[in-house]
Formats: sequence, structure tokens, C-alpha cells
Amino acid sequence: MKSLVSRMTLIAGACALLACSVKAGQVDLKVAVSHPVMLADQKQTAYLRIGLTGLPVVEATQRAPVNVAIVLDRSGSMSGRKLSEAKQAAILAIGQLGADDIVSVVTYDNRVNVLVPATKVSDRHTINAAIRRIRSGGSTALFAGVSKGASEVRKFLSSDRANRVILLSDGLANVGPSSPEALASLGTSLIKEGISVTTIGLGLGYNEDLMYRLASASDGKHVFVEHPSQLASIFKREFGDLLSVVANEILVEISCAEGIRPVRVFARDADITGQRVTTKLSQLYGRQEKYVLMEVEVPGMPEGKSRPIADVNVNYNNVVTKGSVSLSGSAKVAFSRSSHAVSKRANTKVMVSAVEQVAVDNNIRAMRLRDQGKVAEARKLLLSNEKYLNDNAARYKNEKLRTWGAESGKDADNLSPEKWKSRRKQMREIQFDMAY
Amino acid sequence: MKPRLAIILLLIVLIPLGLMVWLGFRVARGELATVKESIRKLHIEKLQDVEGNIRKVIQRRERELLELAGSVKEDPYSIRKLVRSQPALRQVFVLAKDGKLVHPAVQSQLSRQEEEFLARAGQVWKDQAVFFRPSSETRPSTAADSGWYSWYWGSGSHFVFWHRTAAGRVTGFELDRFRLVADIIAELPDTGLSDSAPEGGLLSLLDARGESLYGWGGYNPGAQEQPLVSLTLKSPLSSWRLAYFRSGEPTAAFGTGLWFNLVAVLLLAAIALSVLAAYFFRESSRELREAGQRVSFVNHVSHELKTPLTNIRMYAELLQESAIGDDPKASRYLEVVVTESVRLSRLINNVLSFARHQRKALKVRKTDGVVDEIVAAVLESFTPSLDSRGIQARFQAGAPGRVQVDPDALGQIVGNLLGNVEKYAPGSGELHIESRREGQTTVVLVTDNGPGIEPAERENVFQPFVRLSSEVSDGVAGTGIGLSIARELARLHGGDLTLEESRPGSTFKLTLSTPE
Repeated sequence: MKSLVSRMTLIAGACALLACSVKAGQVDLKVAVSHPVMLADQKQTAYLRIGLTGLPVVEATQRAPVNVAIVLDRSGSMSGRKLSEAKQAAILAIGQLGADDIVSVVTYDNRVNVLVPATKVSDRHTINAAIRRIRSGGSTALFAGVSKGASEVRKFLSSDRANRVILLSDGLANVGPSSPEALASLGTSLIKEGISVTTIGLGLGYNEDLMYRLASASDGKHVFVEHPSQLASIFKREFGDLLSVVANEILVEISCAEGIRPVRVFARDADITGQRVTTKLSQLYGRQEKYVLMEVEVPGMPEGKSRPIADVNVNYNNVVTKGSVSLSGSAKVAFSRSSHAVSKRANTKVMVSAVEQVAVDNNIRAMRLRDQGKVAEARKLLLSNEKYLNDNAARYKNEKLRTWGAESGKDADNLSPEKWKSRRKQMREIQFDMAY
Repeated sequence: MKPRLAIILLLIVLIPLGLMVWLGFRVARGELATVKESIRKLHIEKLQDVEGNIRKVIQRRERELLELAGSVKEDPYSIRKLVRSQPALRQVFVLAKDGKLVHPAVQSQLSRQEEEFLARAGQVWKDQAVFFRPSSETRPSTAADSGWYSWYWGSGSHFVFWHRTAAGRVTGFELDRFRLVADIIAELPDTGLSDSAPEGGLLSLLDARGESLYGWGGYNPGAQEQPLVSLTLKSPLSSWRLAYFRSGEPTAAFGTGLWFNLVAVLLLAAIALSVLAAYFFRESSRELREAGQRVSFVNHVSHELKTPLTNIRMYAELLQESAIGDDPKASRYLEVVVTESVRLSRLINNVLSFARHQRKALKVRKTDGVVDEIVAAVLESFTPSLDSRGIQARFQAGAPGRVQVDPDALGQIVGNLLGNVEKYAPGSGELHIESRREGQTTVVLVTDNGPGIEPAERENVFQPFVRLSSEVSDGVAGTGIGLSIARELARLHGGDLTLEESRPGSTFKLTLSTPE
């Protein structure tokens, strides 16, 4: 009887606490805990997942205007096919934009040229002609290129627009600040203004760490393009995403309940002070889901009790209706002595995300090992990561995890010096996709 | 004569030309230096303009931060919110009046970013006195103040803008230094595609290690190339500088133009001077030619005159000896004819000698002869005219031996001397002529009692065409070449003709080399 009562309470509690979904405007907020039921009387670790899903815009006319700067590398190494494909891709991409969108084109070698200052895309002809005139030049002043691109975006900066810098580079930055830290710092500063950077690495000559850090710090996107012929489709996809932006400047604030210790936030640059955790997301596209995954330490409670984990507050700018929107949600956990109940009630979606994040961490660790020349150790770690992903794919019946697992296996098979250069870039791209 | 003229003309061309070259070179060099300096100033001004733009970025930042400083509360939550929302900020710290760190407080729970800040800001706390220092001597340390502070840590400079309230609380804003660089880059110009940019130069912003943060312009300097000019930025960016690079010598083009102009001017001057010199040369050589023609004409005429004159003299003397000579009247007339013929032939001899001397063809031909006989013969021919002018000649002969002498030359010299006495010392009484032998030379002294010659004029009398402008020569006809020819002949004869000290009158001393 007692167990029945407790079971009933538990279910009721779980129903109430499991997940609370708030829908308002363009974003759907889902706050969930990996284990809504936890083992009683034990200090444990749980994952808190704050999922944000963009709701698609019904009418095309409602979409937010785009404010994008295309920053193209025209260094000597870009000459020939690369540059011509990049130019073609940029022209095609601008073709997707409407007359109210804003575009600027910046090219750089060892100098920077603001080829097309920020302007409405009404005079495509002039813009395209300017792009066609681009010729390849010298070295790579990447930092200055991004700086100028960002300053062009800033001219029309508005929280109602999809503000973005799209950076294409095929070489190592060698003029001006060139460290991944410098670019990460710039990215961190740009996202505060609501500007994010998409970094497209072309070929095998660029610095993927730098491109990765810049994209991740500004909550943009990082893409590896091995062949110039892929550029057109990458640009098309990127611009398609930009055109479907529904929310901007998404500020996520998590207040952990008393006793709950925030351990870390995966992948994202978050500000953790005491019980309060803050992080910022740049944009959300329609039908896109982004999430913030946080590891928390939960002190044990007697069976049958429950305790709040965190209150979550999300503030974003709805670019469709043009206005600031606040969402809130919260998560609680109940306690049980039955480990069966614990595992049975585990939240699959949260667990899959946790697995992804752990796998990304493993993958990055393996990459660092390989960088240090410890090929055998890296291989071992990658193979165990593959197994980890595959096991969890089976457990949570998740195809995405299986794909990641296969990639991890491929990583393990491509550690030889001749394949590593290309594979490392691919790894960086996959890490980005998995983490964000 | 001609080579000397050529040298003079060459000098007339070369000296001013040399002077012009020297002056022109100096002026050009000065000009070039001035131009270089003004170009340098121009570049510096350009850098100062750019510096002004960078300054604007900093000042804008200052204003924003001063505004923020008023709103900063000590509550960590609001400070963190501020840092999260301000793109330019990396971290904010607050110091209490006593220098105690209020935020980020070490003992409280800190974010990772705040912990990193404390790790890199060690130097700031050591230097914190700068935040509390009185802003000036006149203002108390309690007055509100603000300023920049920068320190070096890790791989670069870090910047803090601090503000102190009147109450003494200090708020420090650490700037994101890469964002600062990006903002400055955004403010600075870009490089046009077709641009060969500011006169083919490159402007570059260099950090503390001299590495380029950003550059614009069409020029790519070499790795070791030094900038033409550079300008250190003002605080807080004083470890950075602006540099201007440029291809080649900036004044090269200008310099080439300048040199070209200079050479052109000098060339023109040289041509003008040469034309002038050529003109002078032609003029003077024409004059010389004409003078030569005149001399040769006179020479020619003199020769032509000589023969009839000899005939006149001979026939006059024959007449004297004939019956007509017995008629006292006719005899006196004939004597005048003979005397004047002698004078005329002397004159002609002098002119011929002078002409020969001018052609450097005057020569002395020594033969056997007796000096006393020659002198006596000349004196004899002068006796009637001397007598008629009240001059009594007395010859003290002391050179009776046969020696090598040119009788014509000796005769011409003595004749000229006697002729002068006749001309310039009429009525002077005694004329003393003395000859003596001194070893291999013969000396003839001719002393008159005439008005004499001023000591200052003693050498001048031997110059051709010099006739003493005084009462001595007034109203007396003469060619002015007699003494000059006499001295020339004496010298050719291995001797000399000099004017001796004597009062009253004058004594001419003739020395001739007359070997036996």
C-alpha cells in the first residue's frame, strides 16, 4: 500500500515536474532534467537541459530582414577555382536575399577592402559586378577582415534583423592578431551585440581551431568545405537558415535552487557565479532546436520527497513580431530508492544530449592527444568513444548518436600523418555540429 | 698672344659656369632638404590625422564608460550583467576607498572569467595607488577623477579605464583588447582594390612588439624595412605606434626633376657664355688682324720710302760738294735737306725695327767694327742740327779697338739717344758722350743738361708709345718708339740700355757685349 501510494505520488509528481513546456511567440522552451527521479539519500549528478525550438514562420512576408556581411579571403592561395567558386557562391547566396535585406562584402588579403559597404540588396547588379571583379592577392589579415565585416553589420545593427558575418578563409591568418584566443575574444564581444559569425574553412590550409573558436564564441556556425564546388550549397544553406531566423539575442538565465550546485555548462561560454548561470545564444531559426546543457550536483533527499532544481528564464527578441519576449520554466526532481524507477523515468532526449556533449569532450581530448603525437592513445580514446556512442544509440534508439559513433570510428582510422590534416578539419566541423 | 686670349676666354666661360654649378648645387641640395623635410612633415601630419581618429575611438569609449561608471552598483549580479551586455568590456572591478577589492571579491563565489581576471590583474593591485592619487596639486584627492591604466601581461597590453567618485570609490573597466583593436580597425580606412593607395605608401598600426595590427595602402614593405616616419600613440595606447612606409626615396622623383632643371639651366648658361666668348674672340682677333694689316702696311710703306730717301740724301750731299754748295744760301738749304733726310731715315729705321720686333724678327748681326768710329760717325751727322739747337757735343772716345759689333744697331741706338737730346733738350749746352771698354763689353754714356726725367718715369720711357706728358714733350713731335727700340736692340746685342741717376739732365748708359 505504502509503495503504491508512493508510486502514485511519484507518477503524479513526475507528470507535473517532468517537463514543463512553455509556448509563446516564436520560441518553444523546454526545461528538462536527465533524471526526474533520482536515487534517494545520495549525492548525484544530473543534467539540466534547456531546449529552445524556433517555431516556423507561417508567412514568408513575416520573416526578419537579414543583415549580413560576407567576408571573403582573397589571399594568394585562393586564386583560381577557389576564388571563382566563392564568388559564384556569394552571388548566388545574395540572390536569395530580398530587397529589404542588407548585405556588405568585405575582401581581405594582407589588406582589407570594403568592397560593398552595407547596403540594401536592391541593386544586385552593382553588388554582383563588384564581386566578379575580386582578384586574388597576398597574405591573410583575417582579424581585420572580420573587424571590418562586423563594423559593416553594425551600421544597420538591429535586434529585429538577423545580424551575421559570414567568413570564408582558406589560409592561416598571418597579419594582425592571429591566435585562436584573439578571435575567440572578438567573437565573445560580437555576440554581446547580437552579431554571430559563421566560419567556412575552405581546403586544407586554414586554422580550424581559430575558425572553430570564433564561431563558437559568437554562437555562429563552423563549416569545413574540402572542395570549392561545395561552396555554393554551403552558402545556400547558410543563407536559407538566416532567412528563417525567428529569434535573436536569446539570453538564458538559470537560477539553481538552494542546495543544487551548478558544475558546468557544456560547450557554451557561460557565466557561472554561485547559483546563477547565464549564457547567450545568438539566433534561432524556424524549426531549429538549440539547447543549453548543464551538469548539476544534487544532494540526496529521502524517498518520496522532491526538490526544485532550477528556475529558468529566457529572454529573446521576437524578430517576427518585433518585441522582447520572456519565457520561464523550471525543473524539479523526485527521489526513489528503486534504481529501476530511476532508469525507467530517465529522460531520453536529455540523455542523448548529455551523451553528445560527453562524446564531444572525448573527441576534443582525442584530438589534443593526436596533436601531441600520441597517436595510439588518441586512437584508443576515439574507439572507446565510438563504442560509447553506439551503445547509447542502441539504448536510446537514436540514429544521430549512431552517425556520430560512425564518425568517431572514422576519426580513429584517419590519424596517419597524410590523412590527419584533412580529418582534423572534419573533426572540428563535427564537434561543432554535435556541441551546438 | 692668341693662346693667352683663348685661355682668358675659357676662364670667362669656366669661372662663372663653375660658380653657377657650385651655387646651383648648393641651392638644389638645400631645396631637396627642404622638400624632404616638408614631405616628412606632411607624412607626420597624416599620421597625426589618423592618430586623431584613433583618439576619437578612445574618447568615445571614455564617454560611454564614464556614463556607465555612474550606474555601477556594488552588487555583483548587476556588475556581471553589465559585463555581459557591453561588447567593449571584459571585466569590471570595484575598489573601496581604502583600496580593498569589493568586486570581484576574492572570498565570494567567482565565475571562471572573474578568476582569470584576478590571475592576470596582479599588477593592477600593486599599482592601485594611481587610482587614488590626487589628480592635480590644486585638486584634493577626494575629487572625482578618471583615467587610463595599462599593464602588460601574457602576450600583450591590457587596458583599464578607471573612475573615482568623490567618495573615493574606484570603478575599473577592463577593456577587451582585441575588441579595442577591432573597433580601431573599423574606424580606420580600408584599402581599395584598384588602389595604389596614398601615393603608393602603407600606413600601419604597430603593437608593442612592432607587429602590424592593421595596415592600409597599396605598398608592401620588406620584412626589415624601416618606416619613413612613425608616431607613438598617446596614452593609453602609448606602447603602440603608427608607421608610414613608402616605396623608395619619396623625393626621388622630385630630386630628378630638380637636377634635370639645374643641368638644363647650367647648360643654357654654358651655351650663352660660350657664344659670348666666341663673339669676343672674333671681335678681338679681327682687331688683331686689322692691326697686323696696319703694321704690315706701315712696314711696306717704310721699305718703299727707304730707297727714294737714300737717293735724296745722296744727291743732296753730292750737291753740297758741287759748285752749288759754295753758295752759302744753297749750302744752308742743302744742309737742312741732308739733316732732315737723316732724321727721316732714322725714323723709318725705327718703324721697321719696331715692326720686326712685333713679328719677333728683330735681329742683331755682329761684324768687325770700331765702336768709337761708329759713334763718331753718328755724332757727326747730328752736329749741324745739334749746333743749330744750341747743343755742343763733346765726345770722349775710349773704345778704339776692333770688336764684334752690329754697326747698324749701335748707330740706331746712339742716333735715337742723340735724336732725343736734340728733341727734348734744346739749348741745354754741353752734351757729353763717353765710350769705354769694360772687359768684353763696351759702355757708351750719353749725358745731356736738359730738363731731365722724373725718377718715377724712368722705366716708362722705355715702354713703346709712351711719351711723357709734361712740359718736356709738349709741342714736340715723335713716334714714341725710339727708346723702346734702342733698349730692345741693346738687349739683343747682349747688353742693356738704362737711365742713370744724374742731376741735372739725364744720362743714358748703353752696355753692349762686344767680344774682340
